[in-house]
Amino acid sequence: MSITSAGNRGELNNLYRFGMFVLVAGVAVTTLAARMFYLQVVLAPPPAVVNTTNQATELQSIPAPRGLIYDDTGQPLVQNVVDFAVTVTPIDLPRDKEELVAQRLGSILNLDPVYIETQIDAATGSLYLPVTVADGVSAQVAGFIQENGDALPGVKIAQTQKREYLTKQLFSDVLGYEGRITQTQYTQLKSEGYSPDDIVGQAGLEGYYEQDLRGTPGNQTVALDANGEPIPQLVTHGKDPISGDSLTLNLDYREQAMAAEALAWGVQAAKVKQGVIIVENPQNGKILAMVSLPTYNDQLFADGISGSDFQKLLTDPSQPLINKAIGAQYAPGSTYKVVTATAGLSDGSINTTQTLTSQPFIQIGEFKYWEWNRQGWGPLNIYQGFSYSSDTFFYQLALEVGLKDLTYWADQYGFGKPTGIDLPETATGIVPTNAWKQATQNEPMYTGEIMYAGIGQGFDSVTPMQLLNAYCALANGGNVWQPQIVKSVTNGVTGAVTEIQPALMNKLPTSAANLQVIRVASRQVVTSQHTGNLVDVPIMIAGKTGTAEFGVPDKRGRLPYHEWFIGYTPANPFVDNFTQPDSQLAVIAFIYGANTWGNVATEVVKLYMSLHYKTISRLAIMLDRRTPGYIMGWTYRTTNFYGNSTRD
Amino acid sequence: MSILHPQTLKLRAWAPKSGWLAWRNYDFQLTTYAVLLTLFGLAMAYSNSVGSTHESLTLNSPFVRSIMWAVVSIVVLALTTVFDYKWLRSFAWPLYLINIVLLILTLRIGVGTGEAGTAARWVVIAGFQFQFSELAKIIMVLVFASFLADRQDRMKSPWTIIGILAVLGPPWILVLLQPDLGTSLVLVATVAGLLFMAGASLLWLGTLAAGALAAIPFVWSHMADYQQARLLTVLNPWADPQGAGYQVIQAQKAVTAGGLAGKGLTNGQVALPVSTTDFVWGVLAEELGLIGSLVVLILFALLIWRLLVCSWRSTDPFAMLLSSGMATMIFFQVVVNVGMVIGLVPVTGIPLPFVSYGGASLVSLAAGLGALQSTNLRRERPEW
Repeated sequence: MSITSAGNRGELNNLYRFGMFVLVAGVAVTTLAARMFYLQVVLAPPPAVVNTTNQATELQSIPAPRGLIYDDTGQPLVQNVVDFAVTVTPIDLPRDKEELVAQRLGSILNLDPVYIETQIDAATGSLYLPVTVADGVSAQVAGFIQENGDALPGVKIAQTQKREYLTKQLFSDVLGYEGRITQTQYTQLKSEGYSPDDIVGQAGLEGYYEQDLRGTPGNQTVALDANGEPIPQLVTHGKDPISGDSLTLNLDYREQAMAAEALAWGVQAAKVKQGVIIVENPQNGKILAMVSLPTYNDQLFADGISGSDFQKLLTDPSQPLINKAIGAQYAPGSTYKVVTATAGLSDGSINTTQTLTSQPFIQIGEFKYWEWNRQGWGPLNIYQGFSYSSDTFFYQLALEVGLKDLTYWADQYGFGKPTGIDLPETATGIVPTNAWKQATQNEPMYTGEIMYAGIGQGFDSVTPMQLLNAYCALANGGNVWQPQIVKSVTNGVTGAVTEIQPALMNKLPTSAANLQVIRVASRQVVTSQHTGNLVDVPIMIAGKTGTAEFGVPDKRGRLPYHEWFIGYTPANPFVDNFTQPDSQLAVIAFIYGANTWGNVATEVVKLYMSLHYKTISRLAIMLDRRTPGYIMGWTYRTTNFYGNSTRD
Repeated sequence: MSILHPQTLKLRAWAPKSGWLAWRNYDFQLTTYAVLLTLFGLAMAYSNSVGSTHESLTLNSPFVRSIMWAVVSIVVLALTTVFDYKWLRSFAWPLYLINIVLLILTLRIGVGTGEAGTAARWVVIAGFQFQFSELAKIIMVLVFASFLADRQDRMKSPWTIIGILAVLGPPWILVLLQPDLGTSLVLVATVAGLLFMAGASLLWLGTLAAGALAAIPFVWSHMADYQQARLLTVLNPWADPQGAGYQVIQAQKAVTAGGLAGKGLTNGQVALPVSTTDFVWGVLAEELGLIGSLVVLILFALLIWRLLVCSWRSTDPFAMLLSSGMATMIFFQVVVNVGMVIGLVPVTGIPLPFVSYGGASLVSLAAGLGALQSTNLRRERPEW
């Protein structure tokens, strides 16, 4: 076919335009081919040189799988997931490239390049030790950084693990969280093989059981190629990592959820933020549930919390990071009367037939010490004094017992000292003595202060855990058990289960009869309707309320107050018999800074007990206007407490 | 005087002129190059399906689906070859309307990539994703060829240019709304190539090109952020290594890693985004190396050459423009697709003809090539 046939085609098939097309296409395809040649031949990476005679090697640490945590039914509360950390080894990063690398890393990791540079420069260890600049990096980003090693000298990816908490915020205060080892921790733990870059448990069980959960890291030796990159084929195995031990808790997911539900309703109803609920088995000290509000999202820590988020948690006035069940102390109010009553009955200051006369107030010097209802009830025996929670009755009893005896019995019940619970217990409460007052305020205890000490006001302060544990001793006939979160420890390698036996801290040196008197009196707290309609629920609950004023009065001179209620049930919760020390369930509810008419803590315990013993149906909770649950049903729709959004 | 009935003669006119003799005009080279390129595409689909971990093939894997589409394409190629292309010319405008309806349908019920949030590019029919904008490319070549063939006598008039832009307008806007910048660029390039090859006034074409250049700042300010970022990353991929630059960096790394001979099929290791379609060249270059890449580039060059030869030989302006349009379209897509992988051209979502995985693309190309072969078979004998 010849181009002469173009003669009759006019403008179409113009040779010039065909030529132009061919020329353009030729140039374009040649350009592509040239660029391919440049990329694939000129820029092609040199083959890795394996220098077998003088092999450079690197000792790499293999982290051990951290022990898991299960609830008492074996439901996992936490799991380990693969995580990537970005590290920079200062020796491999030329000084003049640091800024460039920081900028590139910054744009990859969405971090401030200045922050990255500071991290690298601030590292105090050897120049050969990698510095972690980012945790919790996605696999995609990690792969990207790994493949671009040329553009990022000194930057390496370390494959680590991180925790994934499976129950949202429900167990945050108990489980705690992990974090980068601090300087002080490192100096303490250095001898146990920790490195300055390690992640260690910082709070809760993660902190308390760090040694068990951690396991022993293994190691391997990796040969390096000429560029200092590890050669995966040339790995010499060293020690295998030894898995950490797993924990099985006494806590039960369902109990915890019910407790949280009841408490969340309570703080909402009282329009406050802070509260505590703990559930304990008085027979052995096993903790079945423990919730402190407000709480935090421990996954934030597992994912590597940002500085601003951490600051927000730290500076929050309601202190979400503190587990208030064991980490904060408050005036116990009338709940403390159990100490005064035990002291009075044990040293014979009062017996079941004697009465003390309650009055509107007791005057000491120019100060009036008021009855809580500003009227009194006239002569009261110990049952009535306890069940009406008469302040004037216990003022008199406290003075008869005396400060020394009060302090003795407070100590016997476990106040003013650690309960021994297997969590980092940062508060131990105060039992005021003359020595303590001298030491702190350089003066002895005054009469009025001793009276206050007898009703849980003034200097008395306790942690919710101590208070519940004391009532457990009352309910079980005088045994002060060590509260126990963990039921058993499972060895990470052998799988051998070590049950943790209940530990008896103390046996109250008083007669069973005396404790029986107080138990019956505590049942009368409920039956005398001191606690409102708590008597109407089909569960037989005995307990003690407490309100303790604190802080600064508002414009109308009213002080905010803590609300307490500790309730416990007999072994058969539907038969009203508190003569036997057979209780299996004791609950404390604490509401911080409430300003309500009734005692919200009582309602919280009522709701929890109703849920626990299934005496209330979900439908009733939603529909019955009289139950707290009605309001709870309403709050259900407006809040998303354990949902994804974090609670303020 | 023919012994055949006049009605029979009319029917014969639709069939190739002189029976099996017409097949002498069949361009076997053209079909061979296309089939070879499709085989490369199948190899890439296989590599993408089993990956470097050698997963087992599933019915939903690109490879199995590619084979299915290849079979469909062969049928389409055969049918369109046998079919008289002159019918296509009379159906050009109805096809144009159907095309617009399909593009509106895509916008209404289409599913997107999710990347840009509102993107709607595919229509799912019986479990198969179909991208009508691929079909639109071929239909528009047909429409443009028909339009220009009708206006041969007024080719130098600026109204020819204005008219073809008016025809381009509706589908172009519908494609941009998806948003599919790549296809809209292909359409513009095809129009430009066709106008040039059809002999439109160079003065007016030049004026238009100058106008388009002047409009760049305005268009730029109206582009979505991700589109702007994509265009900028060709200059400095490290400006946004996690976003728009990621693809560019990864793609060039894959190409570089290939070296002269490549790592071998399925041995590619560099993670590539959309490795089955837009960035298939990265996989090809890594696994088949410079040698394989050059073979494919040469195949494309030969294919385009055969399209131009086909265009040159045709005596029918419509047929000539049809092959010129096909040549422009394929040429533009090859340059942009390969160019973006090797960092010469900004990243736009344009598939590599025959090689990229995609039923609509392959079937559309087969239809276009079949129509071309149909013009070959029905070519009037040149006057010697």
